[in-house]
Amino acid sequence: MALKQVSSNKCFEGFQKVFEHDSTELKCKMKFGIYLPPKAETGKCPVLYWLSGLTCTEQNFITKAGFHQAAAEHGLIVVAPDTSPRGCNIEGEDESWDFGTGAGFYVDATEDPWKTNYRMYSYIKDELPKLINANFPTDPERMSIFGHSMGGHGALILALKNPGKYKSVSAFAPICNPIQCQWGKKAFGGYLGSDTSKWEAYDATQLVKSCPDSHLDFLIDQGKDDQFLSAGQLLPDNFIAACTERKIPVVFRLQQGYDHSYFFIATFINDHIKHHAKYLNA
Amino acid sequence: MSSRSGNTQEYETRDQLPGRSASPLVPETSEPETEGLVFYHMDLYGSKERFDIFPEESHGQGDRSLEDIREESALSSKKLQSTQEAGYDLGKEVEELAKMYGLDEDREKELELLGGHLVMVESKRPPTHTGKAGSQGSLYNASKSSSPVKDQSQSIKQQGFIREASQDEDQNKAGADDEAQSHARSREGLSSCGVSDERSSQAVSEEEEAADVFCSTCKIPIRAFDKLFGEHKDHEVAQLPSAVESEKEEIHKNMCRLEEQIAQMENFASHLEEIFITVEENFGRQEQNFEVHYNDAVQVLAQKYEEQVEALGEEKRKKLEALYGQLVSCGEHLDTCKELTDTTQELYLENDKADFIKAAVTMVDRLQEFLKKEVDLELSVLPDFEERVIDFSEVEQLMNSINTISAPCAPVINPQAPNAATGTSLRVCWGLFSDDTVECYQLCYKPVSDERCSEEQAEHMLKVKETYCTITNLLPNTQYEFWVSALNASGISPPSERAVYVTAPSPPAIKTKKIRSCENAALVCWESRDINPVDSYMVELSKLTDEENGDIITESIIGIPNCEVLIHLQPTQRYHISVRALNLGGSSERSEPVLIHTTGTYFCLNEDTAHPLLAILDDGFTIACDELENPECDLPIYDNSFTRCIGILGSLIPFPGKHYWEVEVEEDTEYRIGVAFENTPRHGYLGANNSSWCMRHIITPSRHKYEFLHSGMTPDIRITIPPRRIGILLDYENCKLSFFNADIAQHLYTFNSRFQHFVHPCFALETPGILRIHNGIAMPLCTAFP
Repeated sequence: MALKQVSSNKCFEGFQKVFEHDSTELKCKMKFGIYLPPKAETGKCPVLYWLSGLTCTEQNFITKAGFHQAAAEHGLIVVAPDTSPRGCNIEGEDESWDFGTGAGFYVDATEDPWKTNYRMYSYIKDELPKLINANFPTDPERMSIFGHSMGGHGALILALKNPGKYKSVSAFAPICNPIQCQWGKKAFGGYLGSDTSKWEAYDATQLVKSCPDSHLDFLIDQGKDDQFLSAGQLLPDNFIAACTERKIPVVFRLQQGYDHSYFFIATFINDHIKHHAKYLNA
Repeated sequence: MSSRSGNTQEYETRDQLPGRSASPLVPETSEPETEGLVFYHMDLYGSKERFDIFPEESHGQGDRSLEDIREESALSSKKLQSTQEAGYDLGKEVEELAKMYGLDEDREKELELLGGHLVMVESKRPPTHTGKAGSQGSLYNASKSSSPVKDQSQSIKQQGFIREASQDEDQNKAGADDEAQSHARSREGLSSCGVSDERSSQAVSEEEEAADVFCSTCKIPIRAFDKLFGEHKDHEVAQLPSAVESEKEEIHKNMCRLEEQIAQMENFASHLEEIFITVEENFGRQEQNFEVHYNDAVQVLAQKYEEQVEALGEEKRKKLEALYGQLVSCGEHLDTCKELTDTTQELYLENDKADFIKAAVTMVDRLQEFLKKEVDLELSVLPDFEERVIDFSEVEQLMNSINTISAPCAPVINPQAPNAATGTSLRVCWGLFSDDTVECYQLCYKPVSDERCSEEQAEHMLKVKETYCTITNLLPNTQYEFWVSALNASGISPPSERAVYVTAPSPPAIKTKKIRSCENAALVCWESRDINPVDSYMVELSKLTDEENGDIITESIIGIPNCEVLIHLQPTQRYHISVRALNLGGSSERSEPVLIHTTGTYFCLNEDTAHPLLAILDDGFTIACDELENPECDLPIYDNSFTRCIGILGSLIPFPGKHYWEVEVEEDTEYRIGVAFENTPRHGYLGANNSSWCMRHIITPSRHKYEFLHSGMTPDIRITIPPRRIGILLDYENCKLSFFNADIAQHLYTFNSRFQHFVHPCFALETPGILRIHNGIAMPLCTAFP
């Protein structure tokens, strides 16, 4: 599990670095961004995992979200992995922006030809944390997860499927009910096959309905002028209704005038960092 | 009092030793060693009665047979040998005592001390005095009992002395045995001269082998064996170490008592010195007084005498002058007569008739004329002097004035002293400038009143011997006028000036229901219970600790002009706070204290602001509303109350920092809760204006809707779990107002607003139901990251 540093930039007294490694789960070279706050030089810090959305690489979040200052203040290591395996030479992986490369959907694929490499769920859940904990001054007991859009979906399902693993969870404009939207149907159909009952294992809304009591406190921000909200790709209402029914605490903030972009993320990123810091630093 | 009697004996022995130890007792010392053994057996097996009679014998018989003396000497030497052994234990004791009393400088005499224990050991036994020695001993006892330390050192010195004396005696001998023997000799001397101590001798025999228990009855160390079989069979015994301990304790106690007595005597002595001086002063004053008065009298007498003598002399001079004048005129007359006689005789001798006749005629005329003049032979002045009355009245008066006194001058009344007043009493003081003799004072007072009816205010009068008086049963915070006259047998002085004193105020009453507090401060208000205004108030606080020393005032705040004060406190503590009112006269008693916890923020509801339909339940923190119809209809509306919104304001402490409270709500109740400025419009809804911020719960057919309203605007926020208990965090410093679902520590929403003024909690009901407000709770952890 050798790490290769790709870049390192000083940022708010800490460092924003990018590393490359050979992933055993994905069987390809993977990059991830990691922000090490100044506190990491002297002590162990909790880790906050960010999952990006469709088409993104590890670069989008670290260059656009503007999270560094808040992370430095609260002493959080922030890890931003890539969104899918790359360069696996699977036929059709680069055909569309919402499937294959840049669209791993944080599932473990069961269908050929994807099942060998497209194991983003396991990569995020096990391999990456193990790698991070082995190479950086982390406190393995304290980790949280958040994400945007498809990454929001990934954060929600990882949190819901692994009770106790994450101290907190939040999301920006997450795909809340993928089995009900076009993006989800296409991705799950491709990675998991046509048996829609298998999809439910990766659907946040379905997971809420079936999950054991979750004590996680969900914070979700959603731009009101998000074109994908109106296009029915995100379906937060379904998730909220399920959470209301299952008494899962969610604060869902519909932000007037905001769209799906990183400008929206940058606006509320501090609230989310604080939300996680509250639980990670408790 | 074994130690005291012990001291006596020490002195006793010391007195006798100088003469004795050097005296030739040597011949006797050669015998005891063999004789002693014999006697030892007798002691061991013999009856103890034999020894019981001994003391009487020794007292009664001044001259005893040589044999007796020898026997005793033998005993003594035995005893000394044995005590020499036991003495090494006691050596430590003495050393300790010496240390205890700072006699370390005597440590070089340690070796000598070992020898000296003999005396110490003996001195623990009841003394048997004889004749002079006994009386001397008691004399010393009386005179020296006040200086235990000295006693100790003296006893040590004395022991040294013994040894030195002994050494003089047997200079050739060396070693402990020799020393013991030499001491034996000195003891012998004691015994033989009549200071016999049969009981100690007896004990000595028993102690021959190491004593290990202490007979409390006889006060001597014995062997355990004797407890079982010997004369101490029925006596109370203790282990020797514990006996030593208790004895030491006893000695120490007595030492302490002696020290106390020293201190007392020293005090008394210094007091006596003062009295000496006072006597001198008084004498001087009297002497001077007499001198002045008698001098006056003498002067007056001398003056009177001079006056009288002068008048007498004058009279004499006048008399003499008059007599002399008379004498002169008498002489002149005589001359004239003689001249006439001569002339007449010449005439007779004239032969010439004609001339004769001629001359005779003139002569006859002249004679006739002369004889016509009457010769005055009356004395013009009498030899007697007129009777002069010697007047002593003035002197008498002067003389009398030495003994009798005049009426005193008016006393001078002092202005009110600090702390001379309580709420119901005043201590008034006055003095005299002159040395007038005063039998007592007459103190008058009456309350000062602005009104005309002051005559109705009764004057009170008191007779006082001292130059002060404490008057009780007065009204609090009231001015009284005092004046005082001095009285003696000759009469009463004019009254002093009038002085106005004022009684201390009544203790204020803290308004317990209006106390507000937070982690760092408390706002306490109270009301005065006096009609007249007071000068200021003083707040006293005591921080309560686990030891419950609630009476220790840890902080006082003085000079508070109003009936309200903001007190800075430390977080998570408990304080007792009480108030005193102050005026010129002093401070009142403390008010009833109130208990303040600086855990969380504590506020109360401002009932004046409550909408008429809003009810506050008995606990003071539950608000309820039964019906809602026409909240704006003909209900009586008060000045400060909400008119449209069925709401109420709380009274939050005006203090920066963080404040947290919680509101328990029911799921089916619609409400608005938050904060508002004190002057938020009473006719509007909370959150609808820019002077209030609130969370609103609305029940729509589909869901629970939550709004976070300020100026009528709300973000679009959906909350999946309707909170049952809402935490509200007001953070002035970070300009935030946050709402939490307190049960699950879920952050709901945060207003970011710079509050221009202090705000108050506000609560309103929009459907029938109740809201329960929870106060004074510590900020939960979740509020750290709103």
